[in-house]
Amino acid sequence: MNKRRRTGSTTLLAGLTAGVLVTAGCGAGGPSAGGGDFTDDKVVLALLNDASGVYKDVSGPNSKIAIQMAIDDYQEKYGDDAVVDDIEVTSADHQNEPDIANTKAQELYDREGADVILDVPTSSAALAVATQAKNKKKLYMNIGAGTTELTGAQCNKYTFHYAYDTWMLANGTGTVVTEEGDKNWQLIYPDYAFGQDMVKSFTGAIETGGGTVAGTIATPFPNDNFATYITKAGAANPQVIGTMHAGGDLINFVKQYNESGLKEKGIDLAVGLMFISDIHSLGVEAFEGTIFTDAWYWNLDEKSREWADRFLEETGDRPTYAHAGNYSAALQYLEAVQAAGTDDADKVVEELEGKKIDDMFLRNGEIRAEDHRVVHDVYLARVKGPDDVTEDWDYEEIIKTIPAEEAFRPAAESGCSM
Amino acid sequence: MNAVLQYTVQGLAAGSFYALAALGLAVIFGVLGVVNFAHGAFYMLGAVAAAVLLDTLGLSLWGALIVVPLLMLVFGMLVERLLVQWLLPLDPLYNLLLTFGLTLLLVDLVKRRYGVSGLPYERPDVLTGRVQLGGVGLPIYQLFVIGVALLVCLGVWLLMTRTRVGMIVRAATERPELAGALGINVGRWVTPVFGFGVALAGLAGVLAAPFRAITAEMGSDFIIILFAVVVIGGLGSIVGAVVGGFLVGLVEAFGQAYAPTFAQVLIFVLMAVVVLARPAGLFGREEATA
Amino acid sequence: MTSIATAGASVSEQHAAIAGGRPWQRWVLLAVGLTVALALPWFVYPPVAMDIAAWALFAVALDLLLGYCGLLSFGHAAFWGGSAYATGLIAIHFGVPFPVAVLGGALFAMLLAVPIGYLSVKRSGIYFAMVTLAFAQMLFFIANQASSLTGGENGLQGVPRSFFGIEAVETDAFFFYYAALPIILLGMWAAWRIVHSPFGRVLVAIRDNAPRARALGYDVERYKLMAFVLSAGLSGLAGGVFAVSHGFVALPELHWATSGEVVLMTVLGGIGTLWGGVIGAALIVMLADYLASSGFDGIGIVTGAVFVTVVLLFRRGIWGTARHLYLRRRSASRARRS
Repeated sequence: MNKRRRTGSTTLLAGLTAGVLVTAGCGAGGPSAGGGDFTDDKVVLALLNDASGVYKDVSGPNSKIAIQMAIDDYQEKYGDDAVVDDIEVTSADHQNEPDIANTKAQELYDREGADVILDVPTSSAALAVATQAKNKKKLYMNIGAGTTELTGAQCNKYTFHYAYDTWMLANGTGTVVTEEGDKNWQLIYPDYAFGQDMVKSFTGAIETGGGTVAGTIATPFPNDNFATYITKAGAANPQVIGTMHAGGDLINFVKQYNESGLKEKGIDLAVGLMFISDIHSLGVEAFEGTIFTDAWYWNLDEKSREWADRFLEETGDRPTYAHAGNYSAALQYLEAVQAAGTDDADKVVEELEGKKIDDMFLRNGEIRAEDHRVVHDVYLARVKGPDDVTEDWDYEEIIKTIPAEEAFRPAAESGCSM
Repeated sequence: MNAVLQYTVQGLAAGSFYALAALGLAVIFGVLGVVNFAHGAFYMLGAVAAAVLLDTLGLSLWGALIVVPLLMLVFGMLVERLLVQWLLPLDPLYNLLLTFGLTLLLVDLVKRRYGVSGLPYERPDVLTGRVQLGGVGLPIYQLFVIGVALLVCLGVWLLMTRTRVGMIVRAATERPELAGALGINVGRWVTPVFGFGVALAGLAGVLAAPFRAITAEMGSDFIIILFAVVVIGGLGSIVGAVVGGFLVGLVEAFGQAYAPTFAQVLIFVLMAVVVLARPAGLFGREEATA
Repeated sequence: MTSIATAGASVSEQHAAIAGGRPWQRWVLLAVGLTVALALPWFVYPPVAMDIAAWALFAVALDLLLGYCGLLSFGHAAFWGGSAYATGLIAIHFGVPFPVAVLGGALFAMLLAVPIGYLSVKRSGIYFAMVTLAFAQMLFFIANQASSLTGGENGLQGVPRSFFGIEAVETDAFFFYYAALPIILLGMWAAWRIVHSPFGRVLVAIRDNAPRARALGYDVERYKLMAFVLSAGLSGLAGGVFAVSHGFVALPELHWATSGEVVLMTVLGGIGTLWGGVIGAALIVMLADYLASSGFDGIGIVTGAVFVTVVLLFRRGIWGTARHLYLRRRSASRARRS
């Protein structure tokens, strides 16, 4: 008995040693080779986002399908003229952990030959990946994160910021709502970097629109009890309360705002950051009448609707701004590769910088060369009431289009130097 | 003055969730010696169950207040039979670890099944709106939550003091050495008590459903506050759990009103003070804790 | 009631562990361990290898407290994350070589551990776990709000990796691993020394029978506090290296989920085995890395199931089970011989 067991473990040990040698032989490890050394007959687009946590619904695995749609469209458009035949999409789940995002980004660039990384929600993860893009000299197009640092102090040559950011959200909602007559504001915000940024931008926008911020109230984050804060803000009798909360906290906030009776008193609610997926899962009743800024809406016009129908066929859902943004970013990247005739990062960047784009996602779009902010028209939306909803996902009434040149922070104020 | 009344109601409403759940935590700890890390997850399951039953069967809040705790009772008894009981003879830390693992599992399962953005919930019309009290509009739902919580706490107290079962449980909770000396067999009450504690967490979840975001993560921070509640109240004490729950709710509300940035930290400061001054908690007994 | 550490490995096994078995076995184990540590970045993607090393030290530091004092801390993220922030801030503002910043971070973690430990060691068992958890969460809230210092949820970005101007180390994860490894090994050596010192024996004595130790004249609380502070310092070393390796620090490092993760590693490897945590860390880090690319979106289901299974069925953990089997076989063959 004893003897047999010993033989067993010897075999196991031999097996392990062999395994280790084989792995070593394949060169699974060792010093990493210098950057920029990839095959030119293949382009790899890598999606790095949250496939399991809070951003799963707003972007998640469906964005991979959107990117595949972009690849298909590119191939169909150029056919035999395409400069590259072999285009792949790969993906990784950063689980909202900035450490994992950081490691995976390196791995995607180094090991999976990724030419561009797309999406990356969560500010800390987004900024960490920007640093990797800079170090590895490879492209990175952020769609999912809101921090203006990406095009501000921490901007770099290889990082592009698509879709939205905190300045644009605050500016759109703050200015327009004020101009429409709600001059007297109370702002309630989560006391962390995102909330603090939003309040700063909101205050600027409200003052531009001729309104005043009578008070700001900081709340802890995360938090599920806002009743006291709402009571306090309501006691000042503002015309509108602005909340900078997002995700689960926003839902808590809206439920408790509805509870508070301020709505009946005619005190409006404006929301800093909201996605259509939030409305979808909670129902329009909860959010009815809420005003927010959206980077894109699927039912905007014929062009966006057509694409949204295709997406619906592929996934069973209507697209969020993030799905459309990932499609557009992937497509514009491939267009730039086509124009450059190579996937060399520096040449592709040159193609992208300053490019004017009009596609199903970007209207009057331009990739600003100064800070790599992708500017485009954005939309002020009001959540419809249950009676106005005619089909699934038909939740937003677009009350104003904010033109591209006004929608984003001016390049001069970005503080970006590349 | 008006504001103080409003904050008090809000604090007591928030405290109701803590008190109910902490009460469950306390009876489980008392009889089994187990600190149930999964209590936050059970609170979440209660809310999710209410939302799912409303969506699929049209079961309103009234029905959910009865049905969901019963479901949670059965679920809790299953968890005790299948998992928790095997570790009871060992160091109680093992069951803390077990229930921690169970939390990860439950949260992820709910995420996969019901998504990450939250579930909708509509409350009955009777419970919307406000009542006027001294010129202040107080939300009916908050008053309702406080009422239910107080009733249930009172009910549990009567159960504990007026029935034989209750006395056995209470003896085991607050005077374990006495229970042992009197030769009371606590063993057969272990499974029902665990289920009962889980049901209380589930009830807190149902009450929270119309008021808070129903997501898989809703119990993750709740459990941390709950730990602070039972440390403040005294882990071995049933009264301590209830008083601690309402106290923490009030500290939260008034902290939010008068020192917003420190509201969350205040609870932990309170906990530190209690640990320093009365290590066993406000109502705890030194012997009742290991 | 048996304490959590002795339930994982029998008392005689612990004595065997403390004595380290036969001397030559100890050397063989040491040689194997060092070889694996040195070879790791050749087999594993270097940034992942660095993660494994940092988490391994973190798990060893936790086991110092859990296995040898019987104190389960559910708040060690405070020291790992606290040191990560301190290390990052020192590296950013003073531009010192990274080992200096890491030592500064570890020192900060120890200072932080004094008040937290002072309050926590007043309680043992379950209470200790809950109190440490609550204090760590408090630190999380503070770091989140103090965004001018910590960068809030954007994270503290741009932590430099200065190392005497040696560019290979500063830019390449592969070479950085070898520059940082000595810090990790130093931490592990320190843990080993602590456990095998007279101080370590007093800790075990307190763990097994606190009233008796008190009767013998030992100041039980003070010993526990010292162990807590030392464990925090080693966790700080690990957290500092982790921060420099990634080049930034983010809030999740302070979250209770991080405390839970290191507990999982220690339990998986084997409580009271000291080195079991290394295996636990390696497995969990590689699992998380694998799942991130696998397309399977339920990491909590996997780690939760592993946790429940290990606690229910393999309480000795991997290292503990292996040692148990080995010792049983040895004593059996010895019995046969005599």
